[in-house]
Amino acid sequence: MKGLITLILLCVSTISYAAEQAEEIFKKLAPSLYQIRLIDTASGEKSSIGSGFQISSDGLIATNYHVISGFARHPNKYTIEIFDHQGNKAPLTLQSVDVINDLALVKRTVDSEMPFFEIANAVPHKGEELYSLGNPHDLGMIVVPGTYNGLKKESFNDRIHFTGSVNSGMSGGPVVNKNSEVVGINVATSGNQIGFLVPHDKLRNLYESYKKSPPDSIEEQMAAQLANNQEKLVSTLLNSEWLMRPLGEGLVPTVNIPFIRCWGESNADKNDAIVLAVVANCSLDENTFLSSSFFTGSVEMEFRYMQAKELSDTKFYQIFERQLTQVMPGNKAGKDDVSEFQCQHDIVTSSNQTITSKAAFCTRAYKDFPKLFDVIYIAISVDKGDQALLSHFTISGITQSSALSFTEKFMESVTWK
Amino acid sequence: MEIIIEEITRSHKLIARHKFSKDHVNIGRGYDNDIIMADPHICAQHLSLNYNGEEWILNDKDTVNGSFFEDDFSKTKSAVNQNIVYSGQVFALGKSLVRIIFPNHSVPESIRFSPFENVVNLTRHPLFLTLSIVLFATITGWLFNLHNPVEVSFTQILVPAVGLTLLFTLWPAGVALVSHLTKHEARFWGQLGICFVFFNLMWMSDFIENLVSFNSSSQSMFTLLVSLLPISLAFCLFWLNCYVGFHMTSKRRTVIASCLTLLLFGGSFLIQLSKKPEFSVRPVFNTTLMAPSYLFTDSNNVQGFIENAKSLFTEAQESAKKDK
Repeated sequence: MKGLITLILLCVSTISYAAEQAEEIFKKLAPSLYQIRLIDTASGEKSSIGSGFQISSDGLIATNYHVISGFARHPNKYTIEIFDHQGNKAPLTLQSVDVINDLALVKRTVDSEMPFFEIANAVPHKGEELYSLGNPHDLGMIVVPGTYNGLKKESFNDRIHFTGSVNSGMSGGPVVNKNSEVVGINVATSGNQIGFLVPHDKLRNLYESYKKSPPDSIEEQMAAQLANNQEKLVSTLLNSEWLMRPLGEGLVPTVNIPFIRCWGESNADKNDAIVLAVVANCSLDENTFLSSSFFTGSVEMEFRYMQAKELSDTKFYQIFERQLTQVMPGNKAGKDDVSEFQCQHDIVTSSNQTITSKAAFCTRAYKDFPKLFDVIYIAISVDKGDQALLSHFTISGITQSSALSFTEKFMESVTWK
Repeated sequence: MEIIIEEITRSHKLIARHKFSKDHVNIGRGYDNDIIMADPHICAQHLSLNYNGEEWILNDKDTVNGSFFEDDFSKTKSAVNQNIVYSGQVFALGKSLVRIIFPNHSVPESIRFSPFENVVNLTRHPLFLTLSIVLFATITGWLFNLHNPVEVSFTQILVPAVGLTLLFTLWPAGVALVSHLTKHEARFWGQLGICFVFFNLMWMSDFIENLVSFNSSSQSMFTLLVSLLPISLAFCLFWLNCYVGFHMTSKRRTVIASCLTLLLFGGSFLIQLSKKPEFSVRPVFNTTLMAPSYLFTDSNNVQGFIENAKSLFTEAQESAKKDK
């Protein structure tokens, strides 16, 4: 009984302590916390909102890239403004971005030195209480207590897994520890108390490099970041172990990397199907946001094995032809972002002479980021009468040489058993 | 003196031909005339033709609407009275036309039966005709089955096969109808025979096109060459349609057949062009896929394929720069 009372008391005191602490943190940090608004110049109204926080005494403010992406892509269409805790507004200029980690630095002009957030030096320990700050759905600044749960598993670019509600509008807001030091930046949510944060070291790197030399052009900075990131990703893919896995009578490669996740499906349970179809696909779970209509950084691979049950070869391949016509790019991009696809097709036999396929390869170029391309490859084997193997991949935001090296390795990897 | 009078349509097609062996011929609506016309714009006693020993003289009998000489050369009409008539002249009485010809008028050279006549006769032979229609229906049904991703029963195939065959019969029927309306012989069976032979040839050209595009790479020019095959087949079909259905010079036949071909292929090209979106996110390449038994070509190797792909990057980069 005594133990129970002690436990209840302990809980009450912990809750009240946490509440007190949150209140204290909020009071202390409110002056350096802002709502960031993207204003459409033509209508004069806000077109998107997010949060941001000051990281230097001279007016440098950190936020998410996706909060100000409209301005970064179309500087003439928008202006950026901040609202502080007292309702004052001030114009902002874009200084530097990190599209891969979804970070941006904006700046306001200041007359005197201002209070700012300290960036933490150490990584929080698992289970540590953290406080996420931001302005969800334009409802006003709030503080959300939550827990640090380490880095997200199976992720190519690090994200902190934060147990606490991160809602839209809080994007770009800081997440602090008990000492009011920034340990992460709100970036995404999976609902049900699962939030994702950008680790503080990414912000520190961006800030340090900005201090050293501010970028000449945001577009060039973005192009370089996209190219570097994809280069890193593709070299990881190419240098990793490609395990050959059976798919029907075929052998297809799977990349042994945790952040490429694979799924499978078949219609083996359907007795009336005229074709047995077995599908396996692997893809990168994350992609890079450039604007609401333009994403890049995706990697997808798909393999299908099809076997005719009681079907003439002619009809079997006629049905298969449909799959060629349905191929689509793996990322979203529009007319202003990319060119149309340029394609080639041919009958190709692999070097070990095991498989002959009709292969098609298509690429489109990015308009604002030179030397970056989206590529699509699809091939269907045409050497066995009643069975066929489809292999397909798409990679977005890749350089020519990486795309070709990947294509070559991919094409040589698919074989019959 | 002998004289020949032809009643003709406004497009100078023959309606009736009369030959007289006397020196006075009367034309009019009255029943006492030598040629009795039905046109209400013609008077009871309209026109008389008299031979004076040397020439035929035409005499309008002071009629309500008059008689006119149709001048082929200046395309004008001039009223006639007491005119000397020449062989081959056309006169307008009311709304009708007559042509006057003398027995010594020369006729154009006789046209030899062309070898096409034998082809037409063969294709309209009942056995041949039945065979080609059945072949067409069979191919249509087979293609329907082929393009259906599920198993299809015979009755399911029958409906589209018969339906499509009937639909394709509309073309020869239409041509025959036009021939009939323009006072030519309809020759429906001849048109039907010719058309179905060509429809079957079109299926064959489709197959050849598929075979070539399956066997050739995107760098090959063969695909382009083979796409001329259906165009030339369509031209031949239209040419034969004209040959069977209408009397016309071969130059005119060629022009009409070319125009119809242009209309068909140019029209479908324009429709495709108008449907093309301003920007397409979908990659476009030749997706033709056939069973391995139709693969005749030597295949490329991976290095060759990669080497060819390099130019795509340059093209894409250039197109991105151009559209920016």
